[in-house]
Amino acid sequence: MATAERAIDQRPQWQRELDQVGLLRRFLMARRWYGADWWFAVLSGILLLFIFSLAIFPGLYAPYNPRAEVGPALLAPGELPPTFVLVTQEGSGVASLQDLAGEERIRIGIVRGSPAASALRDAEGRINEELREANAGVSLRLRNERYDTIDEALAGLAAGEVAVVVGLSSEIEPLLEQYPGLAMSDESITGQATRSFVLGTNQLGQDVLSRIIWGTRIALLIGFSAAVFALAIGVPLGLIAGFWSGPIERVLTLIMDSLYSFPGLILAIAITSVLGPGMFNVVIAIATLYVPTYYRIVRGQTISVKEELYVEAAESLGAKPLSILTQYIFPNVIPSVVVIFSVNVADAILTEAGLSFIGLGLPPDTPDWGIDLALGQRMLRQAWWLVTFPGLMIVIVTLGFSMLGESLSEILNPRLTEN
Amino acid sequence: MANQKNGTLLTVENLSVRYKTRAGWVSAIDNVSLEIRRGEVLGLVGESGCGKSTLGKALLRMLPPSSRILGHLWFDGQDLMQLSDSEMRRIRGKRISMVFQDPMTSLNPVQRVGDHIVETIQTHEPKVSKEEALERAGELFDRLGISRSRLKDYPHQLSGGMRQRVMIAIALALKADLIIADEATTSLDVIVEAQIIELLKELRDEFNLTILLITHNIGLVAELADRILVMYAGQMAELSDVYSVFKEPLHPYTQGLLNAVPNIELDDTEELYIMEGTTPDLIEPPPGCRFHPRCPYAMPVCSQLEPHFQPARPEHYVHCWLHEEIPAEFRQEVSA
Repeated sequence: MATAERAIDQRPQWQRELDQVGLLRRFLMARRWYGADWWFAVLSGILLLFIFSLAIFPGLYAPYNPRAEVGPALLAPGELPPTFVLVTQEGSGVASLQDLAGEERIRIGIVRGSPAASALRDAEGRINEELREANAGVSLRLRNERYDTIDEALAGLAAGEVAVVVGLSSEIEPLLEQYPGLAMSDESITGQATRSFVLGTNQLGQDVLSRIIWGTRIALLIGFSAAVFALAIGVPLGLIAGFWSGPIERVLTLIMDSLYSFPGLILAIAITSVLGPGMFNVVIAIATLYVPTYYRIVRGQTISVKEELYVEAAESLGAKPLSILTQYIFPNVIPSVVVIFSVNVADAILTEAGLSFIGLGLPPDTPDWGIDLALGQRMLRQAWWLVTFPGLMIVIVTLGFSMLGESLSEILNPRLTEN
Repeated sequence: MANQKNGTLLTVENLSVRYKTRAGWVSAIDNVSLEIRRGEVLGLVGESGCGKSTLGKALLRMLPPSSRILGHLWFDGQDLMQLSDSEMRRIRGKRISMVFQDPMTSLNPVQRVGDHIVETIQTHEPKVSKEEALERAGELFDRLGISRSRLKDYPHQLSGGMRQRVMIAIALALKADLIIADEATTSLDVIVEAQIIELLKELRDEFNLTILLITHNIGLVAELADRILVMYAGQMAELSDVYSVFKEPLHPYTQGLLNAVPNIELDDTEELYIMEGTTPDLIEPPPGCRFHPRCPYAMPVCSQLEPHFQPARPEHYVHCWLHEEIPAEFRQEVSA
């Protein structure tokens, strides 16, 4: 025996100390022991902390209001919005749209079907608002004259058919030489700085980055509460059914198996369409979906752990059934539950997205990854960034959870710390 | 000490255990009656499947729900069979405890070994604080030759021999009156096994332990036990003190069992004795003596009538017609 004792005491000092210290210190010291797993846990922990801070303080990170239309629609990430400029006859004295206020029926030339029309409409609305606030007593009233090409529009302006032409500066600039009498304004008619958006804008001109940041809150809230609800119901039921087998177990297993056999999303759709839309109902629907998963895993594990010799040994020492359940079976079952939990959080976010997609989840203007994905999916050919970034966030959160779950179970599970 | 030795600790009276299976009722233990005396080591030997472990578990009433236990277990003036489940739980660990066969799996992998002992102590003595219980565990560890620092280890950090020491420490934690050692050294290698046997011997003398030593290792019994009970097919075959059994085994089965022990001095010409046949089907055991199909001395009476378990000599009980007066009608058949 003495030899065995010595052999084990040959472990390095720090490793022997490791067993004697508290959880936090152990975690810090453990990086020498666990190597890569430790870094996994730390990295995913930092990642998740960041994501949680996004969810708690989205206002600090988000540059814009996620519901506000802050820019032109479908702007690619980093792309500058198009500049619409005024072209006038030289010497007309008109430098900006404001200068046209108060004049009757100004005819403005634009290209048919170009985004200039909406830019012009926005600008008109904004200028009239400013004039009203300034009590100027005048207003801007524009009448659009539509041309097929910008060339025709400029020709019309040169011929005096319209007073001004509004168009993209990039298109007008090369043509301007052909019309010596025309001048182009320097400023964009929208009056906004020509800023770009880091992750682009969506169909409604909302900032994708801000929506993603605000969406973190909803995603985590729903993902977590659904997984926690499912765990809180499924795990005790599984433990009870596995430990006291009998008619209750049979009935429970029957119910759970029939729930499990439903395709997930369809069951969630059925439940939400009965309960109605809304955050809490979505959580209930998704939790119902995952209860059988926990139940089945925990029940199976309980049945197998129940047969272990150490449970029998505990019985032979007079342990009560409840303490066998809580001290012997539950701790040996929990590692598999942690893994399912991390997967479920991610899956719940996706299911919620699916529900919101068909209109059974959250209100459509909610900044939510699922809704963004659903909306962006229709525009996939024109705007790749609409689905990419919400999707990436789901991947990151999923990855963070499963990395943390796996590596924590490696570090904290004494059975796996061998060697 | 002397009168303690003589006192009876546990009386097993007509104990029968039946299991319900699809094929029918298996009679795993048939009508076993014996006494375990205070301070003795009773060796229980037999082939695999002869009911040794079932008997051990039956003493703690730890058999699966599909089984039926009949008979009485008189322990300290009360019949264990009449106790409620919660009363029985108070006996387990406190009065009778068990050391299991496989030390590798009989400790909870997610509980520190010290906590195993603390939990056992606190289950039965709720007033004891955790520190006190840990101190007692430390004392036990000192005594059993494990360093105190290992109290905080998890089971996987210990070797097989150490785990078995921990199991013994748990069994000793509450100074149980009776320790049932179910194949306690079987899964250990011979050197560690020898250490554990040595330890058990010391502890027996030191704590005046009463041990029911269930094993198929005859050598272990010879080393440790005071008395030996040989079981065959759920029945008692022979019961006596170790010396008389080894010197002069009366039951043919015991003789076969002793011959089947490998001898290190066996030379090439000698072959290891192999007993003919296998253990009988316990759903429909052979009529008469259950051993008669394998018995080299089988007589006509053996397949007809069951012998009685009675003393052939003082304190030497045997279950065989060779040592009992054969009823008249069979005697005539033989002579005719």
